[in-house]
Amino acid sequence: MKHLIKYTILLLIVLSSVSCKKWLDLKPQDGIVRENFWQTKEQVSAAVTGIYSSLLYTGTNTGSDKLSMAELFFLWGEARTDMVSTGFRASADELDIVNLNILPTNSFCNWRLLYQTINYCNTVIELAPGVLTKDNTFTQDQLNTAVSEALTIRALMYFYLTRTFGEVPLKLDATISDENLTAIPKSSADTILNQIVADLKKAEPNLPATYGNIAMDKGRVTRFTVNALLADVYLWMDKYTESVAECDKVINSNRFGLVGGQNELFNSLFYQGNSTESIFELQFDAQKLNPFYSMFVSNTRRWGAAPQLMEEVYGVDAVNTVPLVDLRGDGCSFRSSDLGIWKYLGANNFGTSSRSSDQSFAHWIIYRYADILLMKAEAINQLDKPMEASRLVKVIRERANAWDFDVTMDSTSKIGMEEYILQERQREFAFEGKRWYDVLRNAKRNNYQGLNYLLKMAAISVPSNRQQAAFNKLRDKNSHYLPIYLYEVQTNKLLVQNPFYK
Amino acid sequence: MNKTFIISLFTLTLFVVGVAVPGCKKQDLKLTTTEDVNIVGYFDLHADSFSLFRQILERTEYAPFLNAYGAYTCFAPTNSGVSAWLTKIGAPNVDGADLNTLKDMVKFHLLIDTITTASFQDGKLPVPTMFGQYLVTGVGFNGGTSSYIINRQALITKSNIKVGNGIIHQLNAVLIPASLSIAKQLEAKPEYSIFVDAIKATGYYDLLNTVDPDTTKRWMTVIAEGNVALADSGINNFQALKTRYSQTGNPTLANDSLHMYVAYHILNGIKFLGDIINSTSHETLEPQEVVTVQLINQEVILNQNVFNGVLEKGILVNRVKSDNAATNGVWHDATAHFSVKFRKPTAVYWDVCTFPEIVKLPSYYGKQNYDFVRISEADDPLSEITWGWGSLAGTNVLSYLYSSASSITNYACNNDIMKFPLGLPARPTYLEFTTPPVIKGKYKIWMCYRQQKQSSSSNNLCSVSINGDLLSRTFNFTDTRPAGTDTELEPIGWKRYTENTGSVWASRLVGTYEFKTTQRHKLRITNLVGTQNNNNLDMIHIIPVDEDQVLPRFLPDGSKLYQ
Repeated sequence: MKHLIKYTILLLIVLSSVSCKKWLDLKPQDGIVRENFWQTKEQVSAAVTGIYSSLLYTGTNTGSDKLSMAELFFLWGEARTDMVSTGFRASADELDIVNLNILPTNSFCNWRLLYQTINYCNTVIELAPGVLTKDNTFTQDQLNTAVSEALTIRALMYFYLTRTFGEVPLKLDATISDENLTAIPKSSADTILNQIVADLKKAEPNLPATYGNIAMDKGRVTRFTVNALLADVYLWMDKYTESVAECDKVINSNRFGLVGGQNELFNSLFYQGNSTESIFELQFDAQKLNPFYSMFVSNTRRWGAAPQLMEEVYGVDAVNTVPLVDLRGDGCSFRSSDLGIWKYLGANNFGTSSRSSDQSFAHWIIYRYADILLMKAEAINQLDKPMEASRLVKVIRERANAWDFDVTMDSTSKIGMEEYILQERQREFAFEGKRWYDVLRNAKRNNYQGLNYLLKMAAISVPSNRQQAAFNKLRDKNSHYLPIYLYEVQTNKLLVQNPFYK
Repeated sequence: MNKTFIISLFTLTLFVVGVAVPGCKKQDLKLTTTEDVNIVGYFDLHADSFSLFRQILERTEYAPFLNAYGAYTCFAPTNSGVSAWLTKIGAPNVDGADLNTLKDMVKFHLLIDTITTASFQDGKLPVPTMFGQYLVTGVGFNGGTSSYIINRQALITKSNIKVGNGIIHQLNAVLIPASLSIAKQLEAKPEYSIFVDAIKATGYYDLLNTVDPDTTKRWMTVIAEGNVALADSGINNFQALKTRYSQTGNPTLANDSLHMYVAYHILNGIKFLGDIINSTSHETLEPQEVVTVQLINQEVILNQNVFNGVLEKGILVNRVKSDNAATNGVWHDATAHFSVKFRKPTAVYWDVCTFPEIVKLPSYYGKQNYDFVRISEADDPLSEITWGWGSLAGTNVLSYLYSSASSITNYACNNDIMKFPLGLPARPTYLEFTTPPVIKGKYKIWMCYRQQKQSSSSNNLCSVSINGDLLSRTFNFTDTRPAGTDTELEPIGWKRYTENTGSVWASRLVGTYEFKTTQRHKLRITNLVGTQNNNNLDMIHIIPVDEDQVLPRFLPDGSKLYQ
């Protein structure tokens, strides 16, 4: 009897200690924790892919989670410009942006998606080096590439943020545990731009020129993505010589060219995507649709093309029997009969066949070769070489069959060329999320000498009963940057709101 | 009693005391759902900025209602603003100020609605203050920063402060309501003396000097002409103005031209420039006369119109000197002299295929066919044409047809026609146009179409209405023109409007209409009986009743034929 009790107790102890093991295990059953990840090179590669996939994030279409990155890029780059008009489904927040009546509660001022991607980048930068010791097949070169891709995307995110908000918090380490949840204040625009340049300089030598396959070359960052981004950053910082040098690296690589001809221009550049002209684009596809279909299609339209584009931007030829037509206008960038934004809606360049909702995967092009040529033109024009700049502009214009309907190019004057290049960029990159940044860059040059560019644009884009207010708002340079979203200011006490939004 | 029992009892007592006594402490239950304050609560929290305004609220007894449930917007001046104002009105402190002045001051800073800066525009706020006058908003730029300006008197230094019962905007100065009527304000400015004399002579002075207690009738808008503007037109004193206009010698008569001149400068309702540019035309006190408005290069231009291809230059409104609020309205300053224009009614030969959206398409307009498709009822692709949505979605197509060869368009004016499906039950029910500007007067309306039947049994009877008034006769897109000479046809309401004599080119008189004002009007074709797609409208002729109704006819190249 005594033995029986003894053995029963012993058995109980053994059994309970065994079952306890599983019971006390606090690891999640449906995911992998950090200590189990970051072991192999495949896992590093998956983490890098995760960064790209976060760029395609299109939300769940409900509540505060409805925004997507491409939608933000479009709104930040186009909503305040003379390129777009609002459709009947535009929200009050969107109308406020058009009216330059942006409040800190405006949902399009929410930067969380970008910081989410920044955190993915920071995680790769911080944790990928540790894999080197755990996986012998993971080489230093592979590590460098992975980290450089993360650095480049992080720089791209910060470039969007500083152009949109001016000053933002600069977070360079990963938030991988609750201990890292510290509030950080804003950094000045200069600090952020210098960090971007340093990161890109660090990334450039480690990135391949090609991954050996077209889709990857256009969808992942290559060395030329870094060059294009650096050229743009330098142009924003008014460092023209450096900008030209970066453009030349892309031009001299001989890997890119302008796609030509009417069919090619629309079809390979915008409809199919991944053309030889493209440098870096967000590759939406049938599995990952872009957010634009419901935004632009006429029965649920929130945004359409501005009505004056045909007459005042591309030109309407009423003289010739076979009218001269800028190939980038009607039927390419937009459809003038219903003001649909054709770059994302269209399936052919005649304006007759449009994409269906399940085919809405036009890529969002971040940089392409035409951008390099026009950035170079802008930079060398600022270096007092308007004649050379005009030659580059001519290349772009000839490809598009552009014709002189209004102003002719004056290749002898720097000021004239500056304005002309800005107009040419408007025609070339319509609805590609660049117009606001282009105008602002030219406006802020030489201590806001070009403020008139912004005022002229507001005269077209802002409704007539709010124009006078809008002009005076634009004279305050802080108004060119969006307010920090109210939620961020409330939760991070170190953030100081942009003083314009007092 | 043994020792153990005493110890147990002691322990128990200690336990009861330890547990029960702290339990006696009054529990702090939260009875509010939020710690958000109301308007007055906010002032209490920020007494360093608002103690004086808070004191005024207390003295005027407005504090209780501003701290209760509601939806208010409060423009709250800070202490420095209030002290400056108190000095200005000669009061030593809040308690020493006149109670009614304080009450008016508070009422002028309160709106019964929540208005954020997002609803500010170049002009008045959508709701009046509790004082009764409107506030005017704008944006000022000073020293590198821009701020909202209220009533051109105070800057908003902190905006959109959300509190429990509304919104507070912090001001750096006190807002002062207008104390003079439009008439008195103009009278006080010597640079408007001629215009004021005209107001007095015509008897409008009393009207412009009364503040009607009925707010629906109170507000007026005056577009005043300064002496300089009049001098530019050679009018240097009131006598010159009177000599030029007053043909009866008695300006108080309604048919005196000086009377009309003044009436033409007064609009009903309170219209700041931000409101004026929101509409293309405004009725004046002169019956049936409107002032038209355009915004050209950010300038407000009055009466700039194209009549029969001739551009009439407009009058510029001086923005800086305009938007002057008065107790009974607002007045603006015109930079040049203008008056009612008496125009002779002129025929409008309107080719309906000249709407802006098709003219903008150079590869289609005058070249080939084009379809304008409305995808849903909410979609509205054409600015000057709309139609009643047809439930058969595919019929919501307005086609522009052009060909010099096709028998449908070969003899049409400019070789183009507009084809439009109409008819119950499933096609669009009506088609509505905005006409070109028509000078007021009596006109006959002719519908010029190319007859076609979709099938042999097709029929499409329509009525026409202008500005909602039904015209007397109907017309039918499937009727051909009867045979006969012009003199035989005109009395029965038909004419041949093309050079070609084919009976399919028909023009039908749908009635006589008196246009009350000179502006663009709405013309609607409503289907009555029958349904088909092939309704081919080419032109609409709007011809003064006393002019030749038959000639000119139109050639395929658009030119007129007077025989």
